[in-house]
Amino acid sequence: MTMTTFRKISLIILILLTAVFSCSPGKDSVYKKTMPLMDTIVSITVVAESSDTAEKAIEITFAQIGRFGDLINFYSDNSELAEINRNAGVHSVKVSPQTLDVIGKAVSAAEKSGGAFDPTIGPIVKLWDFLNKKKPAESEIVKALPLVNYKDILIDRADSTVFLKRKGMMIDLGGIAKGYAVDLAVESLKKEGILSGLVSIAGDIRTFGMKPDKRPWIIGIKNPRQTGEKDELVAKIRLSEKAISTSGDYERYFISEDKRYHHLLDPKTGMPASGCRSVSIVTDRAVDTDAFSTAIFILGAVKGMKVVKEMGMDAMIIDSSGTIHMTDAIKEKITLERSH
Amino acid sequence: MKEAIRNTTTADRILFLLLIIASVAGLVYTREAFSLGSDVVVEVNGRPVYTLSLDTNREIVIDGSHGRTVLEIKNSKVRMKEADCNNQQCAKQGWISRGTIVCLPNRIVVIVGSGITKDIDAITG
Repeated sequence: MTMTTFRKISLIILILLTAVFSCSPGKDSVYKKTMPLMDTIVSITVVAESSDTAEKAIEITFAQIGRFGDLINFYSDNSELAEINRNAGVHSVKVSPQTLDVIGKAVSAAEKSGGAFDPTIGPIVKLWDFLNKKKPAESEIVKALPLVNYKDILIDRADSTVFLKRKGMMIDLGGIAKGYAVDLAVESLKKEGILSGLVSIAGDIRTFGMKPDKRPWIIGIKNPRQTGEKDELVAKIRLSEKAISTSGDYERYFISEDKRYHHLLDPKTGMPASGCRSVSIVTDRAVDTDAFSTAIFILGAVKGMKVVKEMGMDAMIIDSSGTIHMTDAIKEKITLERSH
Repeated sequence: MKEAIRNTTTADRILFLLLIIASVAGLVYTREAFSLGSDVVVEVNGRPVYTLSLDTNREIVIDGSHGRTVLEIKNSKVRMKEADCNNQQCAKQGWISRGTIVCLPNRIVVIVGSGITKDIDAITG
């Protein structure tokens, strides 16, 4: 090899290396922060040029989620939701636009799911104590059931008020508020100039934009019958500009006399729904994935899949026997783990 | 080869030096990009209070909003050994080598590695 050729080759290598490193995604990095809010864990992941940009956007968004959580906290006496519930059957309560909006969306989800999702399930929720493994007496459930009916929520948008028709009624937004907060968070991050990221509140997740390597975000779906660290996931799904929520019978539950009692309660019976182990819903907004993952779980695999298709959503349902049902479009995005 | 080395100029040497720097930078870059993330970060109320190595066995007492919790690191795994809270969810989670342990009543988040399990960005369910 002559010196000239050697120099030429060296120069080409140097140019190539320079090109590779200058084109590599060194500019944008992924930043993730986690904060306990809304009685759960909130994680925000953003793609940003600097940690300062990321930190500022995330902190502003955490504050927004916190403020919203305070408005609709079912267990706090100081929330707007508690005020509505306290005045059930007495008078209407003036609320902030966000409280009005999320209750409106909850009623809409109840209508679309034929009452499988019902935000007035509060009196039933209060009876169950999953922490201390206490199941309510049948008579208590029978007494509380007539108080569950979303049609008895009167919303006056002009006056920004909410009224529950009958004394004892209670709205519980546990099946929709986290999804709503995820959407709020995504809008907040976008407003702060973040072009791609992921917000997760207790497993209600929404993605926007792509990762720095221009690939979609990868979300793991929990295995409802996990036995150890190795079989934590049942599947992985690639998402961009989509939300996903999963409702499962393994989140809050206890087993009594070989029967599993979990927190996904059927508004028509007051008892845990038994048709599914887990339901994952994919669509544009987290407010919908949150409410409909609960609704479809209550409906069961057959009826649930029908509603999912009518609504133009995607779903993966694991029924009570462990069989996996999927819509066609989700099959292209999902990879099942080896154990399934 | 000897003749080629003898014929090198200062510009050639600078070029070789740049090539070596580029190669070393490549190695460092690759290590950063595929970092195994061996650190354990403990946050209380969203603020980091400890950054610990996963390689050193130890027990750490963390004062949370509700009471005292004890974090144990052993054989490159982490668990919440004790927690002064009523649900004990964090303690029940057991040992992890990646991911997060959360004690909600104490507002404590323990992030092991990057906080992300395997090759995924988040978990639903």
